[in-house]
Amino acid sequence: MVGEDLKELADRALAEIGAAADEATLEAARVKYLGRKEGALTEATKRIAKLPPAEKPAYGAAVNAAKSRIEQALDQRARALRAKSLELDLGAEREDLTLPPRRVRVGRLHPITQTIREVSRIFGTLGFETVEGPEIEWDYYAFEALNIPAGHPAREKWQTLWISNPLGDDPSRPILGRPHTSPMQVRVMEKRKPPIRVVIPGRCYRYEATDAIRESIFFQYEGLAIDEKLNMADLKGTLYAFARQVFGSDRKIRFRVDYFPFTEPSAEIAFDCFACQGRDPECRVCGGDGWIEAAGCGMVHPDVLRRVGYDPARYQGFAFGGGIERLAMLRTGAPDIRLFYQNDLRYLEQF
Amino acid sequence: MLIKVPLSWLREYVEINVGVDELALKLHMSSTEVKGVERPWWDDRIRTARVEKLAKHPNADKLLLATVDFGAGNPKTVVTGATNLHEGAIVPYADEGATIIDGHTGERATLRGKPMRGIKSEGMVLSQKELGLGEDHEGIYILDPKLPVGALLREVLGETVLALELQPNRPDCLGIVGVAREVAALLGTSLWEPPVERLDPSAPKDLDVRIEDQRACPRFAAALLTGVRIGPSPAWMQTRLVAAGMRPIDNVVDITNYVMLELGQPLHAYDRRRLRGGALVARQARRGESLRTLDSMDRVLPEGTLVIADAERALGIAGILGGEDSEIREDTTTVALECASFEPRGIGRTATKLGLQGSSGSAAARRFSWELSPELVPIALARACRLLREHAGAKVEGVVDRYPNPRPRVNVRMRFSDVPRVMGIDIDHGETLDILRRLQFTAAADGDTLVATPPVVRTDIAIAEDIVEEVGRIAGYDRLPTRIPDGPLPLAERHRLEEFRERARDGLAGFGLQEIVSYSLVDPAWLVRLTADGSCIAPEPLRVVNPTTVSQSVARPTLRPSLLDTARRNLRNRSSVAIFEIAPIYLPRRADLPEERWTIGIVLAGNAQPVKEGETWLVGERRFDVRDLQGIVLGLAELLDVESSGDRSANVPGLHPGRSIGFGHGGRTYLVAGQLDPRVAEMWELPAETFIAEIDLAVWHESSRPPRVTAPPRFPAALRDLAVVVDEATPYGDIEREIQAAGGKDLESVSLLDLYRGQQTGAGKKSFAVRLVLRSATGTLGEPDVERLVKRVTGRLQHAVGATIRA
Repeated sequence: MVGEDLKELADRALAEIGAAADEATLEAARVKYLGRKEGALTEATKRIAKLPPAEKPAYGAAVNAAKSRIEQALDQRARALRAKSLELDLGAEREDLTLPPRRVRVGRLHPITQTIREVSRIFGTLGFETVEGPEIEWDYYAFEALNIPAGHPAREKWQTLWISNPLGDDPSRPILGRPHTSPMQVRVMEKRKPPIRVVIPGRCYRYEATDAIRESIFFQYEGLAIDEKLNMADLKGTLYAFARQVFGSDRKIRFRVDYFPFTEPSAEIAFDCFACQGRDPECRVCGGDGWIEAAGCGMVHPDVLRRVGYDPARYQGFAFGGGIERLAMLRTGAPDIRLFYQNDLRYLEQF
Repeated sequence: MLIKVPLSWLREYVEINVGVDELALKLHMSSTEVKGVERPWWDDRIRTARVEKLAKHPNADKLLLATVDFGAGNPKTVVTGATNLHEGAIVPYADEGATIIDGHTGERATLRGKPMRGIKSEGMVLSQKELGLGEDHEGIYILDPKLPVGALLREVLGETVLALELQPNRPDCLGIVGVAREVAALLGTSLWEPPVERLDPSAPKDLDVRIEDQRACPRFAAALLTGVRIGPSPAWMQTRLVAAGMRPIDNVVDITNYVMLELGQPLHAYDRRRLRGGALVARQARRGESLRTLDSMDRVLPEGTLVIADAERALGIAGILGGEDSEIREDTTTVALECASFEPRGIGRTATKLGLQGSSGSAAARRFSWELSPELVPIALARACRLLREHAGAKVEGVVDRYPNPRPRVNVRMRFSDVPRVMGIDIDHGETLDILRRLQFTAAADGDTLVATPPVVRTDIAIAEDIVEEVGRIAGYDRLPTRIPDGPLPLAERHRLEEFRERARDGLAGFGLQEIVSYSLVDPAWLVRLTADGSCIAPEPLRVVNPTTVSQSVARPTLRPSLLDTARRNLRNRSSVAIFEIAPIYLPRRADLPEERWTIGIVLAGNAQPVKEGETWLVGERRFDVRDLQGIVLGLAELLDVESSGDRSANVPGLHPGRSIGFGHGGRTYLVAGQLDPRVAEMWELPAETFIAEIDLAVWHESSRPPRVTAPPRFPAALRDLAVVVDEATPYGDIEREIQAAGGKDLESVSLLDLYRGQQTGAGKKSFAVRLVLRSATGTLGEPDVERLVKRVTGRLQHAVGATIRA
């Protein structure tokens, strides 16, 4: 066989390889040309040894060239066939992804926790540090230190659950479930020097019949800010900033005069209704009057400052307090405060 | 305190030049909370009618047939059970189809004629309650006999009423005249005081007053009136009392009530005949002294009670409740009229002790527990005397007024600049002075200095801030600018325990558990249902002295019952519960507030697969087991970098003895976990396989170490699997601990591949297949190193736990 024959052989091989429709045919072609025993090119290679030395180099080169062409073609064809078969396989492998998944359990935080975190986060951006304090409290901090001595008519506002200690009660130091978070105003000021900016979330207790908006065990948040010049305008701005974050931008804020024995002046804040913008007289969120009462507030009373050793001629500041559940209800449309504590998972899983 | 102010009554003292809605808004914004504006709503079917004829109902003893003329030409017959009707009486009448208040439900309803004992009632004669005027539902509302028949009731009786919720700093507004003073200041209009009797200051012969306790009773006045004729009060007065929410009784009582509503000051009338001796005395109750009060109750007076007494005995509880014996009767002709000032805290404390505080208690006590001005005493007395002369034929024999230590006038010295300093609003001197004048303050200015004197009725004004509020509230809080505070920011502290707690919350929610928040006050019966024998797992709890309900009467000393209760209720409607709560438990301390110990509680019960209810197509049915709980607790510990330590105990009260574990530190158990004792589970209607864990958050926090990190390993690991055969009683934890101890720093980890029991291990034995991961930080371990390590481990296991090792 001479060089031309070898080239022809390779051409034939290439045609056969190119025509191979599957891997088996391709393998047959490989055996036919490159097979170790009877492959055509293997035969040609064996022949090299028998040639006269002068012909060997040229013939050898021709064999190698043909072999290399065939190998390349085989390789190329094999890859093409594999790609095609993979494509076919992928076309056949189908999963219905609208079927339900292998589910993971999803846990959520209770709406009270979520709301407390929201309150802490927002006031945090205004420089207020979150602190906490005891739920079971001395009468002194809950009332006396806040200008509400025994027999004071304002105690009516904070109907109290009185607590008895099984290890003995001291009638001169009654304890109670704190009816508001305001005792923490006094505790914080006793421990720190101005400037002060704190927010205090926590559980409170009242002797009160429950209904859709009132619970006898509930959560409040309290704010306190003291320095040398904070005034009612700062209070209004702080609460306005809070309302914008909670209820969205462009909330109107309304202050009306109110009374708390431990603030002077005192105010109650309301935000214009985010649900009806004050336009729906039947609105379920605001009850139709267009305003949502959110918190009581005011300038810390000089007597309260004096009692913790602050000089009211030098220091002044504000305090505010509101209900956590009320915020949660307003934010989510939750219809009844009692549902928060029934812990029906079908309810909680929605938050 | 809620008071009702009929607009026509208010107009008697102040000029109102705005509409009622604007008036209500101005009052509301400036501190007098307006709960509502009640407008006359009676329709055209409600008219005045005359009772023409009264007859017995033929089929019922207790019912009457009343024929009423309401001006329509054809009188109608109505059936009524009321006993106070008489022929000729003018009454409110509602024809069929009228809207009235249902006497039983309190809701508005349409009147439908219906037969009563066989006779159809063609309409209805109405009580005050059915007209929405009050709670009085006993009798028909008998109207002024001078009213025309057939008039629209709306026109002859309709009142617009402001319902005002007052705060205790404003006792001056307890009287309508006080509200009028507010209105005059807000509107800048004129104010008129009610006419009073000019009283001869000479004391009467037959009456004196004496104050024994000047602190409790700073002022005590009385008038003696003779020739009193008891009868009904005039119709206009009755109408006003009804509109203001009070029930007319007789002229003397009505006049004292009228003056109370007008000026805020309660008065009390005694039948002079019943007084022994010539004086009314304000004194402390004697030990064990008792009294039958107007509500027909015999009361033993508690210590510290101030009473009004005659020479021999207590007549009434001062400022709270009169006595039955000396009350005005139909034949009373001589009246001793008391008007006094009491120390408010004492009244508040006594009313609380007697259960007469609050809105359902004594109306006088509520007013006297606010700081009424002693200056109201002579005004109210003179006003009452005038009305008694005009409407009860009374002759004033004289008055006596004891006021030994008159209260000094309050003069508040301050700076004009205090107003912008506190309010942040720029209000100039002129406006400040104008506002104070409108509020009837007197004010003197000298440069920036201001001296303000409130009207005597304003007992709430004492300091500069009070004046600032007055100026600010009349100027209007809507003028407050909105400022974000600047100034020095405090340096915040870290609250590591709280941060740790919130990480725990996030972790557990991330593991798929739902957080709950349950009541911190629980039922004491729950606490004896936590062990099979009823013994307590927690110390005796704090108790609520005055619980709203027994189910919230102790402060929980453990989270367990709340968790079990929540699981129980949820398992009624679902097959799977995986919940946690992080909350304090309350542990009593001697002579101190309780410790509020933050605790993590976890409960797992039911279906362990996180599937939708009923969805079983991809995952088989599997129930929670103790390994799930272990995984959550250990996973949380890992997440929170808790290095657990302490003493392990096997016997945890209330849990399954063989499937629970506890850890403690110096006698304080800080972690319990395991299966609930199935007998306890049964008491809570829970599945026998209910799993619970409780973790003391502070102890975990203490043992939490901030992670110290190293770079990922650079050299390859060698793996060796061993089969460790031990006695059945040997816990796996011992095996792992010994391997760890023997392996040293080149033993990276130990994993359990399998636990096998069977013929090859022999009876009473078990085989743990474990994998050792060996790795050095300094180089690739060679075969001899690995062999040496494995040998050390196997040797230790053989020696320490008697294990047989099979390769």
